[in-house]
This record gives sequence, structure tokens and C-alpha cells, in this order.
Amino acid sequence: MSGMTGMLDSGTRLTADTGEEVQVVDMLGAGGQGEVYRVKTSAGEKALKWYYPTCATAEQEGIVRELVSRDFDDDRFLWPEAYVPWHRGSFGYLMGLRPERFKGLPALFRRQLRTSTRALLTACLYTVEAYQALHSRGIAYRDISWGNVFFDPDTGDILVCDNDNAVVEGDASGISGTMEFMAPELVRGEPGARPGTQSDLHSLAVLLFMFLMNHHPLKGRRELAIHCLDEAAERKLYGKNPLFVFDPADDSNEPDPMEHATVLATWDASAGALQELFRRGFTAGLHDPAVRVRESEWRDALRAVRDAVVECASCGRQNMTEPDGHQQSAPRPCWGCGERLVLPPRLTVTTPPPRTERHIRLPRAARLHAHHLLAEPARHDYSDASLVAELVEHPTKPGRFGIANRTRENWTGTRSDGTSQQIGPGQTVPLRAGLELDLGGGARAVVRAK
Amino acid sequence: MTVLVRSWDTLAESVQGTGKRQNQDWYAFAGTGSGADPLVLAVADGHGSAAHARSALGARFAVDRFVALATEFGRAAGSCDEPGRLARLMNYARNDFPRALVQAWRQEALGHWSRHRPVADLGRPEPDADEKLTLYGTTLIGAVVTPWLLTAWQVGDGDLAVVGHDGSVGRPLAPAEEDLGDETESLCGPQAWRAVRTHWAPVFEEARIPRLVVLSTDGLSKSFASGDGFTEFVEGMDGRLATEGFEGVRTALPDWLRHASRYSGDDTTLAAALLHSYAARPPTETEPKTDTRTDTHTHTDSEN
Repeated sequence: MSGMTGMLDSGTRLTADTGEEVQVVDMLGAGGQGEVYRVKTSAGEKALKWYYPTCATAEQEGIVRELVSRDFDDDRFLWPEAYVPWHRGSFGYLMGLRPERFKGLPALFRRQLRTSTRALLTACLYTVEAYQALHSRGIAYRDISWGNVFFDPDTGDILVCDNDNAVVEGDASGISGTMEFMAPELVRGEPGARPGTQSDLHSLAVLLFMFLMNHHPLKGRRELAIHCLDEAAERKLYGKNPLFVFDPADDSNEPDPMEHATVLATWDASAGALQELFRRGFTAGLHDPAVRVRESEWRDALRAVRDAVVECASCGRQNMTEPDGHQQSAPRPCWGCGERLVLPPRLTVTTPPPRTERHIRLPRAARLHAHHLLAEPARHDYSDASLVAELVEHPTKPGRFGIANRTRENWTGTRSDGTSQQIGPGQTVPLRAGLELDLGGGARAVVRAK
Repeated sequence: MTVLVRSWDTLAESVQGTGKRQNQDWYAFAGTGSGADPLVLAVADGHGSAAHARSALGARFAVDRFVALATEFGRAAGSCDEPGRLARLMNYARNDFPRALVQAWRQEALGHWSRHRPVADLGRPEPDADEKLTLYGTTLIGAVVTPWLLTAWQVGDGDLAVVGHDGSVGRPLAPAEEDLGDETESLCGPQAWRAVRTHWAPVFEEARIPRLVVLSTDGLSKSFASGDGFTEFVEGMDGRLATEGFEGVRTALPDWLRHASRYSGDDTTLAAALLHSYAARPPTETEPKTDTRTDTHTHTDSEN
């Protein structure tokens, strides 16, 4: 975008309260609270958030100073790094620049990104874990919204930006301006309702729904009657009388077939395991914060569904299927081409104690990661760095597949006839139903045909 | 400290393309730029081919609906005292406004279709909504200006230029890469709201308010040999405003557009708003004008 002039001119020199000299290069964008500039510092280029005068309150300054002092070090967040004091009626803070590969949800909604079901599920899982990390440190995020979360459409890596509204749990200062992500009790302004982990759980569910369904869970027929910025009507939609677009007991806010075609299609294509959680979060969970879907529940469902994504044999598109343990009706048709999906074999991994089973479908190029072998992984990681095994095609016999050992340890494979073999690093064992693998460290796996 | 009462001068003109039977562009402007009466400008370019036989009407519907919705938006912007309000407005501008605009345009076009069914269609099965809407296909560029906010939207080709307080010319809605194909994005496209681009620019400092906002259909930019032609045109216009004043430019504009239209062969439409205090600056001492137009002004030559 060219030709934007903002509050600060290029070349403006400022000094952060760390003593760091800052020089404005250009404006990157304008938001709801302020503008973001690219700036030069002695430590390289950084981003400077600069508040609009109306948002540059003493309260906001307090929040920023507190966040800077926390020195929060987590690669999933662009956190305020240094406070930049008052200059011509406002102030700001320094943070890292958002790398180009991270894109926003609006671009996803506008179909301007090439991404995949697996990448979106990964992004959701990483988002859940990022907010979980915050909550475990006693920080309520308060301002989860689609303007703050960015993701890499290839890998699903996420980056949470504009973290200048996160506060210590229980702090009641200031709240976000958009109702779409606010818990109903906050929209209603109930006495005693405060932004905190419970209300964040609602915001998180909305965000996940938007990631996967590309639509807001409460925007059905009822929103079509709302005129421009009608605050009373919005309070009703999000606070007083919220109704899930797929509420099983009340269809008066169901999606409009023409205006809401997207959510009808995406909901239809999503796994029952996720639909169940969304249904709970957006029916009972709207009225009773205690029954909202917890981060650990999202994490378990998302990783199970991600492990059950398969490519359509006909068109190659990625489809969600039901993870094991959920009602498995006959395989559904592909959301893209309508052909019936063929389910590939499945690998059941049993982790070391406390023993937990993971079911991983084995489509072409399926991958097993370090977290699959752990009962309680601290964090999920689907990058190459954590690769443990992958499905590879035989170099000279197309259609024949094997499981390649990508670790530095030896595995032992036992076939259904009882014979066994060692699979060294880099070696491949043919994929056959009944094959049992000892993956070392107490982790075992077995290949099942279905 | 002087309290300035700002106001805007507006001008607009549309020229029919040579050899065209009808001007398929449309424009309108409304309001003064005050909080209660935001300034709204819009231009639209109906696609014009046989597949879009009713695109002149489509362009008109687009402009009409935009003026109504953007006026409502500008009024809702009201005061900017509550910090949360800004975030809410921005969210609305970027995410909800495009959907509301497309929905309103579709309703108007579909309503018109059902009142004016093509005679040739009698006895045939009714076309689906997308086919009906294709008849009305159009682009749209619109802007709304309040005392502290400039917001603009665009779907399809055409140009928006904003001349900053310092004379810099920006084209904030220009796509990252020039669309070289003939396929233009359109209000009639499926999920058209996805193609709507938004420019959100709050301005809290009096001295930094842009001094000129120019909207034009692509009949103008296509008439220039180089890609920078449009920017140079706006720079030239800004310069002429400084030397010859608003009336001078208003008088000259039809000729400029006719000239451009001869090169592009296309209907050519421009709407612009000039910050009044800028126009009143030296070198020429002019009487302070009080522009209190509140009616919507639209061109009428295609009605004749």
C-alpha cells in the first residue's frame, strides 16, 4: 500500500526509555488504537506502535510499561519490548517486525491465501497452546480477535501481535472495542463480569471457529437485519440474546443460504469431533462460563482431527475425517469434488506411561512427530525439526509404501507372522497391516488396515 | 489558538466515451465533512459489454447504496473520545462494511430485475441470482470524510488518490501488483465482498488532514501512456488548484476528461474533494466560502 501519511513523519527520531535511539522509516499500517511504523534501531529494524492521541491514556501507558517489564520471551508473540515516551501528544512501544510469511485472517476469508486443512488445524492448535501459555502465567489476554492473530498458510505457525491489552488476571482496566470476540456476559456488562481466563475461552472458541469455518458463529439470519453499527442490535446478537448459527434446538439464527454460503460449506466439511465442541461452547457455553471448552479439550480434539486428515484420491484436496473414538459413519464425500473418500491405513501409537493412544491416518507423505510419542507434550510441533517417521513410496515400485525412520535410534519391527527386523536411522520398513514397531523410549506403534 | 471550521469543496464530471451509446459511469457526492454531515464521494464504472447490459443502472445502484451506507458510517463515527470505539469502527469498515455494501447492491439489482424482467426471457426458466446480477456488473470506488477520519473502499479498477498535507500523492487502494488482465473485479462477482479493498486513515491532527481526495474511473488512468500518468495528473491538478484556485480547475475539468476519454475511448469520470482551508491559502486572497451543500449531487447526462 502506498501513500500513507500518519502521525509520525519518516526520519522522526525518538528515544525509547531504554535509551535506544529510534528513527522512523515508514508507516506499515493503521489500526484501531494506533499506527505501526517500521523503525531503525541499533539492534536492526523493529516495529513501533504509536497510539492515537485518544488512545494514549495513562491507563494504556501503565499496561504497556507493565508488559515491557515482564520481559516475556516466547517466539509465538510479538511482545512490547521497550516503552517509547511521550512525543507530540502520544507514546508507543517497540516490538519485533512481523515476518512477511505471517498473514491475517481477513486475507484467509478473502481467499487471498493458498493454505490447507492441515495448516489451518495446525494454526488452531498452536493458537490454543499460545493462549494456554499466557494463561498459565496468569495473564488474561482480553483482546483475542482476528486482528491480532497471524499465521503462516504453509506451516500453520502463528504469531500473536498487538499484545498491548493483555493484563494480569483480575485486572479490570479497559476493554476491547469490538463485541464480536467478547464473552456475552461482558457484552451485557453484568456486574462482576470481568475479562479473564473464562471470558478468553469464549473469545478463543470464536477465533477457532473463524479459522476453520471462515465465519462468525453468531452471525446467521439475525445479522442481516442489523444496520450500520447499530450498537443495541449488536449487543443483542453478541450479548443479550446470542444464538449459535447451528444451534440444534433453535434454528431462528441459521445461516442464510445465499449470504452465508461459506459457513454452510465449511461446517459440513468439518469433523464431528470439532462440531461437538463448538456446539457446546456456543450453546451452553454462551450462558455458563464454567462449561466453556477448555484449552486442553481443544488441543486434544484438534490434534486428533489433524492426524485424521486425508487427501481425496480423486482431486487431492485435504479432508477432515473422524478421529478414532468418534462415531465413524461411512466415509463422507470429498468437500471439493464429491467423490467418496477412501481411508488409508492407520498407525496407532501407544505412548510411554501414562499410556495414551494416538491414531494417525497414513495417507501419502504422512508424518510422525516427536509429540506423537509423548503422553503430555508441552507443545506440539509439526516442523521438520521434530520429524520422527514418514511414509515414503518405494523408489522403484510405485504404490508400495514404507515407514522411514527419521530418528537417530534403531527401531524394532515385528510383522504379523512374528518375524522381526531392525530398522536403523534412514531405513524403511514396508507398510503392512499388523506391523508392530518399537519406537524406543517406551513408545510402540501398530499399523491397522482401517 | 484558532479554531478552524473546515469545509470541503467538491467537484465532479463525467464524459461519455467516444463511440459509446450510453455513459455507463456514475458518480455522486454528498455532505460537508462535518461530524453530523460526513462528506461522501463515489464513482462507479458499469462494465458495459453485452453480458452486462444493465451495467449503467448497476453503477448507479452502487453509487446510491454507497452514499447511503457511507453517510451512515460517517455519522456513526461521530466523536472519537472513547478508545474502544475506534477499534469497533475499524473492524466495521474493514470487515462488515464490504458485506453490507454488496448485500445492499445485490438487493437493489435483484429488485430491479424482478420489476423489469427482460422481454426475451419470457417463457424461459428464471435465471439464478448470479446470472441476474451479472447484467448489472460494475466497479465502485467510494470515500467518506469526517473531521477525523478518511475511509475509502474499492472494488474493481479505477483510482483513488489522496494528496497529503505535505503535497505527497498516495494511491492507498492501488493493488500491490497492477492487474494487467481484462478481468476486472466486480460487485456482481461471487462473494464480491472479498474483493473489496479498504483504506482506513484516522487523522487526529488538524494540520495533517489530506488536502485533496480524487476518485476516478479507469477511463482516466487508461488514457496515460505511462503507469505514473494518473499520479502526475493528480499532482498537476493539485498544482493548478494552488495557482488557479478551485473555480479554475472546475472550469477546466470537462476538457481534461474529454481529452482523456479520446485516448482511452472509455467513459471517464472524476470526483474530487478539496480541503477548503487549503484552497483559501495565499497567494490569492479569497473570500471564505461557506459550502453548505447537503443534497446528493449526481450527474444526469446518461438519463437523457
